[in-house]
Parts: sequence; C-alpha cells; structure tokens
Amino acid sequence: MRIATERFTELAREGVEKARARPFLKTVPQLLYQLREAGLATLPDAAAAQAHGAAIRSEAISRLPELLEEFEKNATANGAKVFWARTAKEANEYIAGMAKERGAKYVIKGKSMVTEEIGLNDFLSEHGIEPWEADLGEFIIQQMGRTPFHIIGPALNIPVEEIRDLFLAKAAMKEPTLDPVELGRAARLFLREKFHRARFGVTGVNMAVAETGTIVNLENEGNIRFAKAAPRTQVSVMTLEKVVPTMKDALHLMRLLSRNCSGQKMSAYVSMDSGPRKEGETDGPEELVIVIVDNGRSRIYQDPRAREALRCIRCAACLNICPVYRQIGGYAYGWVYSGPMGQALMPPLLGLDKTRDLYRACTLCGACKSVCPAGIDHPGLFLYYRSMDASADPRFKGEKHPWREALLFKAWGRVVQYPRLWNWGVSMIRPIINRHAHKGVIRDMKGAFGGWFRERDLPPLAEKTFRDL
Amino acid sequence: MKEVSLFIPCLVDLFLPHIGAAAASLLRRAGVNPIHHRGQTCCGQPAVNAGYLREAKKAAKHFIELFGDDEAVVSLSGSCVWTVKHHYPELLGDEPEWFRRAAELAPRVYELSQYLVDVLGVTDTGAAFEGAVAYHESCHVLRGLGVSAQPQKLIAAVKGATLVPLQQADSCCGFGGEFSFRYPDISESMVRDKVQNYLDSGADLLILCEPGCLLNIGGYLSRHHPEKKAMHLATFLVQEGEKR
Repeated sequence: MRIATERFTELAREGVEKARARPFLKTVPQLLYQLREAGLATLPDAAAAQAHGAAIRSEAISRLPELLEEFEKNATANGAKVFWARTAKEANEYIAGMAKERGAKYVIKGKSMVTEEIGLNDFLSEHGIEPWEADLGEFIIQQMGRTPFHIIGPALNIPVEEIRDLFLAKAAMKEPTLDPVELGRAARLFLREKFHRARFGVTGVNMAVAETGTIVNLENEGNIRFAKAAPRTQVSVMTLEKVVPTMKDALHLMRLLSRNCSGQKMSAYVSMDSGPRKEGETDGPEELVIVIVDNGRSRIYQDPRAREALRCIRCAACLNICPVYRQIGGYAYGWVYSGPMGQALMPPLLGLDKTRDLYRACTLCGACKSVCPAGIDHPGLFLYYRSMDASADPRFKGEKHPWREALLFKAWGRVVQYPRLWNWGVSMIRPIINRHAHKGVIRDMKGAFGGWFRERDLPPLAEKTFRDL
Repeated sequence: MKEVSLFIPCLVDLFLPHIGAAAASLLRRAGVNPIHHRGQTCCGQPAVNAGYLREAKKAAKHFIELFGDDEAVVSLSGSCVWTVKHHYPELLGDEPEWFRRAAELAPRVYELSQYLVDVLGVTDTGAAFEGAVAYHESCHVLRGLGVSAQPQKLIAAVKGATLVPLQQADSCCGFGGEFSFRYPDISESMVRDKVQNYLDSGADLLILCEPGCLLNIGGYLSRHHPEKKAMHLATFLVQEGEKR
C-alpha cells in the first residue's frame, strides 16, 4: 500500500469538503460510540475492566521478547509452524513463496490490517497470485483500490450506488439492485465459490496467547473463520505486539475489544486455533503457519515511552470519538491505521519526518485517551513525538524544524524567565498586531496566523494587560 | 483574611484582562483576598505543545519560583492548570530538586470554578442573568482536571439563569493552540459544529472556562453570528442583575 502520510493536509481538506462522506461522519462514529457506551454498561464495573485491560496490555508489551518466545514454543508444540519476518518484504516473499510451492492460483483472505500494512495483496498480484478479500468491506475497497475509511468499516463511507456499479462491473452480480441485503448476498455467492476451491488462506490475528500457543480472531462476518478452516494451508499473519500472556488475559481483552469496537458483548464469531487439524479431527487446515512480522516494531519496543503505542488492540474507540476524525474521515491519515491509533503507531513506524502532520494535527483534547481500553495516552505520545522531532532526535528520524520556528521558541525561552523583558516584548508586539484592528476587531492578518482569520475574528491586544489594570 | 494567588494565563493577560479582573472580584466577594505576582509571564504550554521542552522547562522553573510558596493558586484556564499539574513534574523529572517542588505545588493549583465550589464551598455568587445558558465542556477542564459539575453548579445558582443542554458539549471546539491556524480546514469545521450546537440549544449565552476556547468560539461568533456571545464563567458570575 502506498504511503501518503505526507499529504495529510490536502487529504484532510478533501475529507472536510467531500459532501459524500459527511452524512456518514456526522452519524456513524457517534452511533458506534453510543453502542460502545451501552456495551460497557453491561460490565459490573466498566472503569475497572478498562483499567485491567490496560494492565494486561502494559504487561504484554513490557514482557514482549519472552512472551513471543513462549508463544513460539507452545504454537510449535501444537504443530504450527512459526516464521519470523523482520520486514514486510520478508513476510511477503515467504507467503508468496509458500503459495507458489503449493500450487495456489489465488489466496482467500480474512480481514486483516497487518496484510494491508505489509502490502501483501499487491505483492501477491505482482507474483501471479490473486488475492481475494472475503470481508465485505475489504472486498469492496480492494476492488476499488482504496484504503480503509474506518478500521472496522473499511467501506462504510461508500454510497450504495457505487457498490452496485462496482459489483455489476466486476461480474459479481447480474441484476442491478440497491438492496444492501441483496448486495451482501451477491458478494457472498461470488466469494463462496472462491472459498470452496481455496487451497491457501491468509488471515490476521487479534491475540496470540503465549501460555497456550493459540491464535484468536474476532469478527462479525465469518470470513476469517472460513478462510482459516476451508483451505489446506492456513497462514496467520501477526505483528509482534499481538501476544498476550494467558488465555484468561485474552478472554478479558475479547470482552473489551468487542464492547469498545461495536458495543457487542462478544463479536458474532470467535475462532481459536491451537495448531492445524489433528488426527481424527474432521475440519481445519492441514498446515498452520504463523508469520510474526516485526516491520519496525522492535525498534519501537526499544523506546520505553513510544512502546506504549504497541499496546493498541485496534478496537477503534479512539477513531469514533476523535473530533478530528469526525471531520476528516479515514483517508487523510494516508496509510493503514487511521485516527488516533494510527497517529500513535505510524510516526515511530514510518519515521517522524514523514508523518509530521499525524502527531501535530491534534488539539490534544484527550477524548481518545479517555476511551482507550489499552490505556494509551495518545496526546502524551504526540507531545513526545513533537519533542523528539523539534530536537532532531535521530531515533525515529526527527528532523529540525524550520529555523524561524526554532528561533521564535528560543527567543521565547529567553524572555519567559524575565518579566520585565516579557512586558517590554508585549509592549513592542502590541502595536504591530493592533495595526490590523478596525473598530475593535482584527479581521485579517497575513503570515503564519493567517489561517485563523479565514472564518474567525480576534480581539486586539488589550491596551493594558491585567498587571497594568 | 484568606489569601489566594491569581495565576493569570498569558492569553488572558494579553487579550482578555477583564476576565482576570472579574475573577479577582469574584474571589473578594467570596471572602478571599486575591494576590497577584507581578512577575508572571507564561506557564509554558505553547512550548510543551510545540515540542520545545528545554524552553518549556525555563517557563516551568520561573513559575515554580514565583508561585512555589503559595498556599493556593487559582487560574482561569483549565489547560494552563493542567500544564502546571501534569506537565511540570514530567518536564522536570530529571532534576530531583525541581521535580520535588513541582510535585508539591501541583495539588495546590486549581481552576477557578473548582476552587470556588470544592475549596470555598461557594455555589451562589450572587450573580443574576435573565435567560438560557449553555455550558461548553473545555477539553482540559473536563478530561484533564475532571471539572464539570462545579461550573454547572455555579451557573445553575445564578438568579434567573436556566442551564440548557448542549449537544456534544464535551467535544473539542477546534482551538488546540497552533492547531487553529496550522490546520484551519479542520479547525474551522470543528468550531462551526460547536457553534451550530450552541445555536440549536436555544441558549442566549455560551459559558466556558478556557480562554483558548473563548477566543476560538468567540472569534467565529463575531464573524458569523455577531448577535450571539460566548463568555468566560468568571465574567458571567460577576455581572449583577444585568438584563439582556
């Protein structure tokens, strides 16, 4: 998937202006948020449950190396094969190589963010293997060549007319219809055929349980379970941070993930795999391969502060409540993970230099932090990234800011300790700013502050500061 | 007479000094003597938010030198109070002596409504206003400091005023300091929604406890709906029997 994080401002403007997505943005995130509230209310003590989730994720990330080793040991003992991929390329080459070796013409895919991240679909296509997304939303955006608009509803913003036209064009359907149930049925029939002949299935992982070597998937459509059970070879791709210590921990996170995501007590389908089909069992794949992808995460793990971003369980509660996401939608974030979860994860993953808008285009309102079941302090992370960037910290490719800005803050830092100098500065700046005032209001000013005045006025600086009153 | 130190945010000092004056008279009415350290400048929030921590540290040390011995410090901005309470100890974490001073100061710093209601036990300030009033829950006041009931109690006790519900009262108005001019497309869209909710509420006045939100929402109102006003809680509570 092409990374477009540097086009944030432009894509955000499109997001704000695009009339099509507006009805969606005005209703669906709010609705999901209300469902979440209702879902959490079914817990005896929601705040304690959230705090427990945060503790589990915090522990999992602090113990990441040993938990991963434990998971590998137990998964292998269950008969699964574990492959470690340092980069997206290594993962893609390994998966494509396996598919080729097994003579698979295509792969059937369950909904997964990590395969979006590593660009598996494009890689497979380039190597003559057709990838078929089996989640309805993913199926639609794959056919349209788009990135997910929302993590749990990748195509939620796409009007039904466009979906009808798409299905007609792709021969998934013969008769035009706008009935969502009929459209769903058409996709299902089309994909059912793919499932039946599937040789090779690829899915993601929600949790990898170290204690038992089990991989867990949660979903509402059944495509993941189907993609795991129908083919002879099942490949489960996970990133490092998916591991959790115990099954009890996983069960608690499942309760939280479902509720925070969609307000459900539990998602419609939960599948757990501990190894491939065993002697005497009637279904399941002949071989189970677990690909553990690093793709920059061990570098994030090295940093005790940034590591917090790895706690995320991808529930999307932060997107639904984020006032910026509610204005711009998912495309502006420029890559796989949109909203605060993406803003926390993508900067250290892709480099602070390429993702500056992601950690700056935030009012620090703290709504995301207040709902996160993994205890991530998103605004705190953004401030951390900003400080690393401003000081050109090389760890995640921080870059020096424009000299004007740096100089301004340097001067500010000099003056802020000396009240007389500060007051003198104020008296110097006042006439410069107030020159723009007419009838007691500043309506326009050019330069760095220009953006303020397109839709807003500003009072002039008071002739007397409070101290002089 | 009990004394309390007034911490005037720089935005108030520069643009809205009358809010500071209002707070001072409110405190006097509540039987507390407000003192004002003339040496105050800026708490450092803009530098923290922009990532210039070395400079922010200087502001923090200056603030601690100035306010460190005060029994109680009261401010008119939730985000400035949050900066002192939350960011100072973090900023000064690598200097044990300064960290100690920051950590000791933190619990003595209050947002105005919090101080009035929680510390002084005041809800009726003697103010009067004929009309419907909506309350905007500023982000750092609500989610930073956990202050929400206090300002609403104070508003509800104003003679003649009816507190009416505001849709999405707790969603950000789109200020965010430099966010407001660096990302005008998003910021404008956010403040537009906030103002629409205010208009839909039917309130005659929008009250808030954050100067940044006041400049933002007030600035948008001034341009598009000059007949509607937003007001800081302190200003609202000092007016006596003013008729609209």
